[in-house]
Amino acid sequence: MASNDQANDVASYATSVRAALSDLPPEQSEILLEDLEDHLREVAAEAGGPLTERLGPPEQYAQELRAAYGDARPGGKRPDPALRDLRRAIDRLTTSGWYRQVRAFLPELRPAWWVLRAYLVVLVLTAAFSRNYNLHPIPNPFSSRGLLEIVAAAIAIVLSVRLGRRNRQLAKGRRMLAIAANIAIALVAVPVLARMGTFPSYAMLETGGSGQSMQGQPLYMPNGAVTNIYPYSRDGKPLTDVLLYDQDGRPLTIGPKIGDVTTDYPTGADGQPITNAYPLRQRHFYGDPVAAPRVALPPWPSASPMASPTASPTSSPTR
Amino acid sequence: MNQAEVDTTQLLKGVLDLAVLAVLAEADSYGYDVVRRLRENGLDHVGDASVYGTLRRLYQAGALNSYVVPSEEGPHRKYYGLNNRGRKALDQSAQTWVTLSNALNHLLNGRSNGHGK
Repeated sequence: MASNDQANDVASYATSVRAALSDLPPEQSEILLEDLEDHLREVAAEAGGPLTERLGPPEQYAQELRAAYGDARPGGKRPDPALRDLRRAIDRLTTSGWYRQVRAFLPELRPAWWVLRAYLVVLVLTAAFSRNYNLHPIPNPFSSRGLLEIVAAAIAIVLSVRLGRRNRQLAKGRRMLAIAANIAIALVAVPVLARMGTFPSYAMLETGGSGQSMQGQPLYMPNGAVTNIYPYSRDGKPLTDVLLYDQDGRPLTIGPKIGDVTTDYPTGADGQPITNAYPLRQRHFYGDPVAAPRVALPPWPSASPMASPTASPTSSPTR
Repeated sequence: MNQAEVDTTQLLKGVLDLAVLAVLAEADSYGYDVVRRLRENGLDHVGDASVYGTLRRLYQAGALNSYVVPSEEGPHRKYYGLNNRGRKALDQSAQTWVTLSNALNHLLNGRSNGHGK
């Protein structure tokens, strides 16, 4: 039989079968008959001769199909149409070309995730052990703290990659555990990443104020943030424990932590810290006290208007 | 179709699921190939449409997975294979079948022995 005749035979046979099953709900007949033609072509190619000879009349074929498909449905339980639509949509998605390309590409990204997760673990641990430390996406290698972070990250990356390569041969249960652990790392890292300020002043504001019983922030002046105040007497002597108050009589407080600088407030007789005694006693994260700045004292006029008239006219500023 | 064929067809219907599952347990296969393999194994009267419908139903019931294998010359073929659920169904049905056929063989043997003497 010529292939053209065969194609016509298949087409007309399929049409008759479909017609005989036209009373089925469309989604059901679609599933049942979706590759009927392919199947019939296969039969025709094998058998030769007209299909009716091989398979009987199309109506009978349709009856048999209906009986085999519909009769023995287990428990008469029909799948929920919404669920089946969902399953078919997923089927369609998972067989589409771009999905396969994405699926094929994703494993290539595995090593990248191994590196990233190591970085995230170090970041999360840093955040957990130093609540007010100012987190940076890339730690400062010139601070002992930052250097520690970088070394820890390097070690973590090596371990993470080794672990990742080994995990490929894991048994199913352990594999699930490993996947869960990876997801946990990603989830825990999200709030830490969100907290990581990109603007230094922002980070300072936050680390200075958040979670502390004593409120305090740097003061902002037109020429930058003020983190400490160094009072001097008129004759240039540095003063200590000068109590400062604002225009409303509130203690003027700064700190207690700004960047990697920590302030030690003196404790009063009532056990409360005295937060407005200047200069503040501050130290860096690694323990060195913050040094007082060098200051240029102003030359007072020889006859000070503030001074009493009896003051010596020869007094001059000293350093 | 004579009376014997009708009887065979009726008997087959009940065990067609089992037969199809057993064929697919050997190797993944497409519709027409399942028919051919059933016939090679002596199930001559199995209807093409019955096998096709059974495959579809088992697939819908979640006992099979399926994938399309494109071919250069012929039509694309939809292959079916057993998944975990299918394998479980096969194990259960096979057990039922063995019990049932043992019982029937026993009955028939008794009859033929009694009849023969």
